[in-house]
Amino acid sequence: MSTQSTVARRTEFSPERMAKFHEYAEEYPNKRSALMMVLRLAEEEFGSITDEAMEIVAGLCNVAVSHVQGMVTFYTHFKRPFHGKHRFMVCATLMCALENNTDAALDQIKAKLGIKPGQRTHDGLFSCEKVECLADCDQPPVVQCDNEHFCSMKGAVLDQYLDKLLKEEGKSAAEYAAKAPVAMDTRVPTLPAHYNFQGGTEKGARHFDDKDPYFKAGEGDLHTQVPGPLATPLTVPVADGVNGKGTVSNGRSGHDSAGGAFNGNGANGKNGAKHV
Amino acid sequence: MSDASKPNPAGSGDVPPVKKADESAAQKAAGAPQPAPVSAPAVPAAPAEPKPKVPFSPVLLKHIHEPGSHTLAHYAARGGYETARSHVGVTPPGDLIKLVDDSGLRGRGGAGFPTGKKWSFLAKGTGKPIYLAINGDESEPGTFKDRYLLEKDPHQLVEGAILTCYAIGSKHAFIYLRGEFILGFQRLHAAVEEAKAKGYVGKKIFGTGSRGDASPEVDLTITVVRGAGAYICGEETGMLSSIEGGRGYPKIKPPFPAVSGLFGCPTIVNNVETISAVTHIVKHGVAWHKQWGTEKSPGFKIFCLSGAVRKPGVYEVPLGITMREMIDTYGGGMKDGRKLKAVIPGGLSAPVLTAEMVDKATLDYESLASLGSMLGSGGITVLDEQVDMISTIYNTMRFYHHESCGQCTPCREGTGWLEKVSHRFHHNQGHQGDIELLGDIAKNMRGRTICVLADAAAMPMQGFLQHFRKDFEAKVKETAFVEKQRTYRDEITPTAKTITATGAGPSALDVGSNGSKG
Repeated sequence: MSTQSTVARRTEFSPERMAKFHEYAEEYPNKRSALMMVLRLAEEEFGSITDEAMEIVAGLCNVAVSHVQGMVTFYTHFKRPFHGKHRFMVCATLMCALENNTDAALDQIKAKLGIKPGQRTHDGLFSCEKVECLADCDQPPVVQCDNEHFCSMKGAVLDQYLDKLLKEEGKSAAEYAAKAPVAMDTRVPTLPAHYNFQGGTEKGARHFDDKDPYFKAGEGDLHTQVPGPLATPLTVPVADGVNGKGTVSNGRSGHDSAGGAFNGNGANGKNGAKHV
Repeated sequence: MSDASKPNPAGSGDVPPVKKADESAAQKAAGAPQPAPVSAPAVPAAPAEPKPKVPFSPVLLKHIHEPGSHTLAHYAARGGYETARSHVGVTPPGDLIKLVDDSGLRGRGGAGFPTGKKWSFLAKGTGKPIYLAINGDESEPGTFKDRYLLEKDPHQLVEGAILTCYAIGSKHAFIYLRGEFILGFQRLHAAVEEAKAKGYVGKKIFGTGSRGDASPEVDLTITVVRGAGAYICGEETGMLSSIEGGRGYPKIKPPFPAVSGLFGCPTIVNNVETISAVTHIVKHGVAWHKQWGTEKSPGFKIFCLSGAVRKPGVYEVPLGITMREMIDTYGGGMKDGRKLKAVIPGGLSAPVLTAEMVDKATLDYESLASLGSMLGSGGITVLDEQVDMISTIYNTMRFYHHESCGQCTPCREGTGWLEKVSHRFHHNQGHQGDIELLGDIAKNMRGRTICVLADAAAMPMQGFLQHFRKDFEAKVKETAFVEKQRTYRDEITPTAKTITATGAGPSALDVGSNGSKG
């Protein structure tokens, strides 16, 4: 966006994450090999992997920005700016899809937030997508959101969780029912404005042929959606607590609620206040 | 959302726990030459002589339901790290490799390659560092065993990694977990930190080099890497590419990782379950491990049961038990008394077994191979009679198309075609020729790519075409019916208008009719 070029660009993370980076740099045989973990740091720092984050990572790991961009678009679990602040990932692979478990979870999300898979709410707070196996096939449906893992996520449990998130954000289901959601446009050009990158029509390899009569627009998955006109890049409200929030797992996991004692990651839990 | 809500504890009360007396009896029994499979005379490969049945209680999953099982305190209280302490710097590494080789342990990741043999292939004297890469990118749908091992007993894995690194002479182990294992990553990371603080990982582990027994210094670094949601990184060379900081593109073999793997250095790649089992095999010995299982598939394995059974979950059982026993005894039978239609025995990529084949199948590598399927990663999915096989295969093909990395054309294009054509069947658009087309694409995908993802996508398709061709043909008939109706409707519309003569105007049905303009 135009404001980006006027602001002085950062080349580093916040000090405590830089310390973490130096740890990685020492442990890994070379800086490039630490990329996966450094991208996770970037995700924590910015709430999602933004253009700025990619540049910083490229500088730190001594690779081209295009390489980092290649990584980020290859691995689906990284959070990107076009995702909502709360990103619902619902497993749609066979074991979860049997007995309509996936559809049940998606319907509940649609009822509360008004979003179908591949969409995000108008304010960018919530998004929903179908993902492939999340490896907890004995307790379908499996859902991940906000770096937490939930299994048997349907019925009252899912409703309670959705209500909790809505309450945290001060929003209501009625508001989302009234305002139309937006399609998540994965084609948002991710190279920064000052690169003078005029493209922005890179067509994802996974889009099906528009002329294929068997695929209807907006039917569901990201990769079966027929692309529409390019949307303006989203600005997610970062100010209050995205940074810290994304990383803390307060023991509320599908498997175990007794494990809150974990503190191995050092920076966990104290990030929110440091860098805003 | 807690442990209590898990519908079934692994290894729940069905199997009596091993007592001390049993163990000695078992040792004796294992001394008998050439143990044969426990049961299943129907398996062609099985020798006739049955082996005495040894009681089995879970080994790897024994403690997962105890609170705090992931902490070092809990692990140390049950004799943790004693095996590593007594072997590292004392036992010659070659002896450990021989021990694992003799135990007949086979890789638990899917291919079932003998672990000891893999270790012995390691290139020696290259002057390059040796790496151990532990594959925790468990992404085969239907498999969730590693999740339990990582979240509930990470120290078991760390100790296995220490022993393995010592055996193969590696100073650096990477443990690659899939990005979706959020708690697993935190727990394992914490476990490594705990082990580091105790001096089990790091420089001069277990005090080697300074404890007065002339043991050489042993150093070890363990790095935990978190992936980010790519199925292809479960393939060993794809995982190595990812650890190197690139897209998870598999590399062409040979050279195999044991010669040129991570950063071009000799690398051993093993599954989380394999490395966890190494701890126990080194502790208890070869005879102990061989008392269970079959001749060619000795030992025990964790199976993940999902689908239409009463008690889905993880079960650790000796190899060679029957599929029926797994479903009826461990899984508690079919859910709501439904009828079994088919079973996917080894993760989504394993060709499907029909109900008749399920009665013959035993859970070992050879039996399932003889039935045209595979044991794979041990993810058993039970499909009941209500399941629509066409939507099942469409869902499966969508998965593989989504996860194909795109390097090789037969896979990139083939998985897309398989998805599209099965989508046609799913939406009543399939024709007779499409069945042959599916078979043709699947056949031409196999063995023509760098890694086995193309095979993994083609195998289930071939299995479904072979065993459930009737479902496809029924869909073709449905398509023909729908199309006939459409043609009929297009033909009669004008006539119907003249007959009724109500002046309803041009029917909406005219619009978009196929080719009947004018």
